[in-house]
Amino acid sequence: MQLNVLEAGRVRKRLSRISAGLLAATLGAHAASAQEYYDQEDPLGTRNDTFGPGVAYSQVDAALLVYQEGSGRVTAIEPTMNLAVHAADGRQLTLGLVADAVSGATPNGAVPSSQPQNFVTPLKAQGSTASVTGASGGSTIIHLPPTPGQIAAAALGRQYTVPANTLPMDKGFRDHRGAATIGWSQPLGNISDIGIGMGYSREEDYQAITANTHISQNFNANNTTVTLTLNGEFDSSSPFGGIPTPLTAMSAQWKTPTQRSKTQLGFVLGLTQVMTRRWLMQFNYSFDRQSGYQNDPYRVISLVDPATGDPTDSYYENRPINRQSQSLYWDNRLDLGPAVTDLGLRYYTDSWGITSKTAELSERIGLGGSFYIEPSARWYQQTAADFFHYYLVAGQTLPQYASSDIRLGAFTATTFGAQFGFRLDGRQEIYIKGEYYSQTGNGHPADAIGQLRQQNLFSGVKSAIVFMGYTWDFH
Amino acid sequence: MGRLLARGALIAAMLACSGCALGPRPWEKDLMARREMQIDPYPLLTAAEEHVYFSKEASSGGRGFAGGGCGCN
Repeated sequence: MQLNVLEAGRVRKRLSRISAGLLAATLGAHAASAQEYYDQEDPLGTRNDTFGPGVAYSQVDAALLVYQEGSGRVTAIEPTMNLAVHAADGRQLTLGLVADAVSGATPNGAVPSSQPQNFVTPLKAQGSTASVTGASGGSTIIHLPPTPGQIAAAALGRQYTVPANTLPMDKGFRDHRGAATIGWSQPLGNISDIGIGMGYSREEDYQAITANTHISQNFNANNTTVTLTLNGEFDSSSPFGGIPTPLTAMSAQWKTPTQRSKTQLGFVLGLTQVMTRRWLMQFNYSFDRQSGYQNDPYRVISLVDPATGDPTDSYYENRPINRQSQSLYWDNRLDLGPAVTDLGLRYYTDSWGITSKTAELSERIGLGGSFYIEPSARWYQQTAADFFHYYLVAGQTLPQYASSDIRLGAFTATTFGAQFGFRLDGRQEIYIKGEYYSQTGNGHPADAIGQLRQQNLFSGVKSAIVFMGYTWDFH
Repeated sequence: MGRLLARGALIAAMLACSGCALGPRPWEKDLMARREMQIDPYPLLTAAEEHVYFSKEASSGGRGFAGGGCGCN
């Protein structure tokens, strides 16, 4: 009896699989009957294939990201929303909105010292109504004498003191961002899908305009898709206090020019292949070229005494104007029965001398009913840019390019997380994902000088990330 | 005998044909239709994670465009 029940269950499962497969196969050719099928009542709410090719429907995705770094560093909150409208003939319109609020302390690039250190940054021009971005966190306002060659009106500065043996951080970091994207794609004649998209992002000191276009073709009974995407981006940076002259001493004076720009052009050539009934694979090659202002205008690099290692000055950093990057990305999704495995690998290299390797693994496990859990892990390792230095030595010839931004240094990062989701019915899902991100690197380089041998020069982050999302498909 | 050979040839041709194209037949795509088997089932989550990594690491792109559309790097 027991056996018969099991057997009946197996047959039922097999039948439902066959019927779902047949349905998918016939949808493209019989859109009208598919529509009829989808219009049928589903009182139990168990059907999860209610939407698909040949059916007009819309999708709303809404999500909230909360990001918090350890040691009182950056906090970010980012709500996002996406709307996609699918027509029955494959046309698709997407609209996206993102906002974020970022605040907290961020390393200014200088090395720690056995003595307290003072740093100065611009505050506002005398008589101007320019608002002050976050002059908080223990800063004091200082009065500056007019300096020849600088803007005559500049008369106020902000000074902050960093205690001895502490990583220098500017606590006045605060920004808001709003961004919108719009995209359109559709089949065109024999072309499976062709589309364009645009985006605009605005921060208090930064603006980005993006544009993209793609063309993709399905082959081999829709098991193979080749996609070519072209991307362009135009950014302009208007930092608070103006654009500092690279490799000159940090100062509170307002600088000129006040704006610099950067352009980026790139393409992604992708191959998606359904390997078997249970295995989906994607392989991408990407190329990008950036040209223009790529410095972090707020970041400095310490000049240290060649004998004692004490910082004597802080110079604004400088990065090359051009950067070319290439990457290979390979993703695999495998349905192994009770769980779905996702394994992604990436190799990246660029003209700044950075190479990186990334491996991502997640395992989605059904918990019975409409619940699932998806633990995930990511490993990332990068080499340093050619011009990365923890500090420069006073008295030596200055290099053409220098940055102490740890994001351009050598480090390893790991992320561990888990996503927990609940399908409310065939059309709605809520999910939450928590992650812990940690960077580790060499804080004690062998060639450290004097007091720097006692300091931890690695300023990488550890952060907690919580992401909550809701998706809704509707007619 | 001839009929047997013809049948054999037909079966061989069918087998060869089923093996010549990589990937499942249309009626075997039931699993691929599920959300968790899409290349990017949660695009907002992916975008948020890429945004975090873009602002904390030197590499970006691979999955898609390398640009960030922000001044966070």
